[in-house]
Formats: sequence, structure tokens, C-alpha cells
Amino acid sequence: MTEPLAFDIREYLRLELMPHFMCPGCGHGIALRALLWAVHELGIAKDKLAVVSGIGCSGRVGAYIDANTYHTTHGRPLAFATGLALARPDLKVVVITGDGDCLAIGGNHLLHACRRNLDLTCLMFNNEVYGMTGGQVSPTTSATRLTTTTPTGNAEPVFDACRIAEAAGASFVGREVTRQVPALKNLIKSAMSHVGFSFVEVISDCTEIYGRKNDLGEAPEMILHQKADMRPEAFGNVADQPFRPNRLTTGILSQHDLPEYGETYRARAALLRSGEK
Amino acid sequence: MSAEAKRAPGAETAGGRNILVVGVGGQGVIMISKVLALIGQRRGFEVKQSEVHGMAKRGGIVFSHVRFAPKVWSPTIAKGEADALIALEWAESLRWLDFLKPETGVFIADTRRIVPPFACLNRQQGAVTAYAKATPAEVVERISNAYALDASGIAAGLGDARAANTVLLGCYSVALDEPLEHWREALDLFVPKAARAINHAAFDAGRTWAEAARAGTQEVPTMPALFSARGPAVKSELEINAAWCKGCDICVKLCPERCLALDKKQIAVLTKPDACTGCRVCEWLCPDFAITVHQTAVGAA
Ligand SMILES: Cc1ncc(C[n+]2csc(CCOP(=O)(O)OP(=O)(O)O)c2C)c(N)n1
Ligand code: SF4
Ligand code: SF4
Ligand code: SF4
Ligand SMILES: [Mg+2]
Repeated sequence: MTEPLAFDIREYLRLELMPHFMCPGCGHGIALRALLWAVHELGIAKDKLAVVSGIGCSGRVGAYIDANTYHTTHGRPLAFATGLALARPDLKVVVITGDGDCLAIGGNHLLHACRRNLDLTCLMFNNEVYGMTGGQVSPTTSATRLTTTTPTGNAEPVFDACRIAEAAGASFVGREVTRQVPALKNLIKSAMSHVGFSFVEVISDCTEIYGRKNDLGEAPEMILHQKADMRPEAFGNVADQPFRPNRLTTGILSQHDLPEYGETYRARAALLRSGEK
Repeated sequence: MSAEAKRAPGAETAGGRNILVVGVGGQGVIMISKVLALIGQRRGFEVKQSEVHGMAKRGGIVFSHVRFAPKVWSPTIAKGEADALIALEWAESLRWLDFLKPETGVFIADTRRIVPPFACLNRQQGAVTAYAKATPAEVVERISNAYALDASGIAAGLGDARAANTVLLGCYSVALDEPLEHWREALDLFVPKAARAINHAAFDAGRTWAEAARAGTQEVPTMPALFSARGPAVKSELEINAAWCKGCDICVKLCPERCLALDKKQIAVLTKPDACTGCRVCEWLCPDFAITVHQTAVGAA
């Protein structure tokens, strides 16, 4: 395949639900494009794709995808996806979650999904805030940022989701900003092609709530600043990463060849069924 | 300058030479000027070489003045004072033409063209460029001692296009009465061991080419039209779905050509269709999927 296949996102959307509910300039829409573009280039049939999402603006994104979609409970999409991926290894399972969904209420599920290394892809849309519920502080809200629950500026240190995922055993960890759509698409392709648990942090913008409240400019200014500020220092010590002049390290941050849990699980199940154990 | 008056017209200063070597970054301008400086030294002359290669990274301009004579005062060659102009790139050869001595100056140029991005007048495919229009035939017609050759092509044929500089050096060598071994020894000092064989071959090829050119049996190379190899031009059309656009302004502010705007109803519209290059930045960044870029090939190659 030399020429990239022509991609029209409308072929992958539930057109009857469009236009989507997101605010003007919301980065989650761009992240959705990157995911569907990756699915298109990987040639995954719509009925072989299952998108499992949690609660939040990020979670709502799944509803617009014309494939198998599963809108679950707050913080639990990884738990639901684990069951689905074990039961239906023929499906490509992708989780869409938010920073609040994945790291606050769902933090425990993330740790164990990373540890198990089941073959699924988790996309965490990080906009540093609880967007859906009106802008409360999240575990990734940068220092001094204003939210409805930090009226004098956030005083808590942030989580670096990528470091957590790698430390917990995720065999693929990457990060990209919505500003770099082709790069984000390529990263998601790599994550979905990886056998095992892949975690991708997508740096997104909540324009209407977080951007407004913190005077970060309109949507174009926010997306232009993505690489320059308001992000945590991260992954500076990954040895084989090329130097990047900004504070935010993007691309594939780590990738390991580890035993995939689903295969082990199915082998054990077959053993039990055969009556030998 | 008064130097013009003191010099006998057309004569070289007692066997000395003013040689200007020009090109762009990475072509090996400095390497061949070092060889020329060494040849001057061997002849017992005073040698001065000065160069500018500060912007040489990424194809910036590089030039080097080599002067050897019984006594050399200034390290640089004045306009109209170069006995030879050796150019490793076609547009550079033309830019430095007025440094050549009228009537007697020897012009040697690679016809290879390296078009800098800023020569493009717009960013459309098959864009018109501001790159020098003069062809080798036109230049050879105007200058009595002009040699225009596809040195890069000759070097590539020998196995490495990077040896084009040495092809030009070999070509110039026929103008100096210097034994072949001296040239080889000088070359060996400045090229890495692994590249010696290819540089010797390139030097010989240049020398052979120039001898044939002197005998009048070389043809002036023609240059293909710029960008003809890029295939059919592509026509881009923007489809904007007003019902999905939320007027976020991202496409307007991030379009590299600034050809979009928001209308009175805060809906994106294409205001400068001719400036649109079809780059798809607007399509990629629209969070509402309101823009689709359609590309169709127009005309044959
Ligand atoms: C069990 C439970 N607790 C709380 C909520 C309220 N709630 C809905 S979305 C959300 C946070 C969403 O934040 P994030 O995951 O960052 O998604 P975003 O909207 O920013 O994309 C919360 C706390 C809920 N729906 N269910
Ligand atoms: S509230 Fe924020 S995250 Fe939610 S749709 Fe609006 S801009 Fe996007
Ligand atoms: S494709 Fe879009 S971003 Fe690119 S030049 Fe055309 S209008 Fe501008
Ligand atoms: S990026 Fe999309 S939604 Fe925003 S103004 Fe442009 S067309 Fe409209
Ligand atoms: Mg969030």
C-alpha cells in the first residue's frame, strides 16, 4: 500500500446523531477523527471494532461511531472492556476514557488493566478537567489552574498517566497532542497493532470551560499552545527517546514484548474444558 | 577600481589565478577550494583563501575565494577579476557571473538545480518558481570560455553523485598546466580514504569531458522543465458542511494560506479558493468534521 487510502470520516459516523454535542473547538472531536482514521488505515471492519467508553465528554464521543459501541459507567470502561475482550477475541477493543474517568474514579482499573496486559487499546483524552460536570479539578489539572473546585488555583501535584501506565506494566505507552493529527493517527495505529495492553494519552483541549476559566484564549490559541505550556513535565528520562525541544514528550514512549493475557487465559480455559486439570 | 587599469587585459598575474568556487551547503565547495589552494602553494605562490559557509546547513549559499600569485594582498576577488568561476549549482553560477573577467574568464558549472523552498511563488503543486530562468545554452552562447555540464549526473554514473565537485575540479584542471599526480596527491589529502577511488574517477571524468569540450565535441546539456517530474497537478475543492460548523475559528487561524474566514453567521467559508493548496490542515483540525477536502488530478503528466 503506497498511497494512503482516501479517508472520509463520514463513512464511520452515525450521521443521524450529527452534529455532535461537543462545544465549539473541543479537542475531543479531533481525537475522534484520529481514531477513525487509524481504524480506516488498519482496514478494520466496522463490525469487528468495539469502542467502550466511560462517562464524561470523552465518554460521549463513542456514541457517534458507527461500530459496536458500549457506553459504560463512570471510571469502569476498562473493566467492561476486559470482559468483552476476553469473551470476544475476534473484536478490536478500544477504550475511550477521560482524565477524570481514567485516573480518579477509575484509577484502580487502570492499574490492573496495565498489569494484566490484555490485548486492548486505551485512549485517555486528557483535558486536565472534569469537562462534562462543569469543570472540577482532575488528577491532571496543572498547578495553579482555576477550576470550580479550586477557586484560588490548584495546589495539588499532577499525575503523569504515562509513567503510571508503564510502571503498572502496560506493554505500550504513548502520548500525542490533538494538534498533530497525522502523528496522533499513526500513534493510535501503532497502539492498536501492538499485541497486549496499549495506553495512549491524547492531549486534548476543553475550550469552553477550562480554557475560558483560565483565560487560555479561544480554540485556535489553545491548540497552538498545546506544545508550549500548561502540560506536566513528563517522561524526560526515557533513555532512547530523541530530544524534543518542548516540555512535553510525545510519540511512543515505551514498548515491551510481554505475554498477552488473553492467550494465556484461553489456553487455561481449554485445559479445564478438556478435563485434564 | 584602479586595479583594472594596472592589469594587462586578459593576462593572468604572472601565472597566478583568482578562482571563485560557489555552490550550496553540503556540495563540497570548500573541499575543492582547498585542493586549488594547495596547487597554488606547490607552484611557490602566496595563497589566500576566504570562504563564507555560515548558512551552509540545509542548502544555504557557500562561496570560496582562492587567490594565488607572487604577492596576494586582498583575500577576496573583486567583481570582474575572477579567472575562473566554478559553480556547483546552476542558479549560483548565474548569480556570480559578474565576478568573471570579461573576455578571458573561464566559466564551469554543474547544470544541476537545487531549488530553495523560498523560490516557490506559491505552495500549490506544480508551483511557478522564481528560480533562475537562463538555460545552459544561453549562457554558453554569451561567454567565450563557458563549460556547462551535468557533473552530478556524471558522478552519479560513477557511483556517487556527491563527487560532482571533483568532476568540476577535473574539468577546470585542464586550464592549469599541472601534472596529474599533483592533483591526485592534493585530492587524497582532503577526501576520506574510502572515497579516494570515486574521487579519482570523478576527476578523470571531468578532465576527459573538458578535453572533449575544448575539441568542440561536447554538447551543451539541456535542462528539463522544473517540476515536470511531479506528475499531474492536483485540483483541490473544499466541501464545507455549514450545518456541522460551530464557528470555532480553528480552521481560519490555522490554515497556512489564510484562505478561510467566518461569515456573518459564524460559519467557515473559503474566501481565497485560488490560494488553497489542499493541504488538509483544516480538515484534520476541524473538531466538528465540517470540512472535507476533495482532490482530483487535472491533466496528464
Ligand atoms: C459514579 C459517578 N460519579 C460521578 C459522576 C459524575 N461525572 C460525570 S462525568 C465526570 C467527570 C468527567 O471528567 P473526565 O473523565 O475528565 O471527562 P471529560 O468530560 O473531561 O472529557 C463526573 C465526575 C458520574 N456520572 N458517575
Ligand atoms: S465541556 Fe469541555 S470537554 Fe466537554 S465538550 Fe465542552 S469543551 Fe469539550
Ligand atoms: S486545505 Fe484547508 S488549510 Fe489547507 S490551504 Fe486549503 S483551506 Fe487552507
Ligand atoms: S474548524 Fe470546523 S467548526 Fe471550527 S470554524 Fe472551521 S469549519 Fe467551523
Ligand atoms: Mg477531562
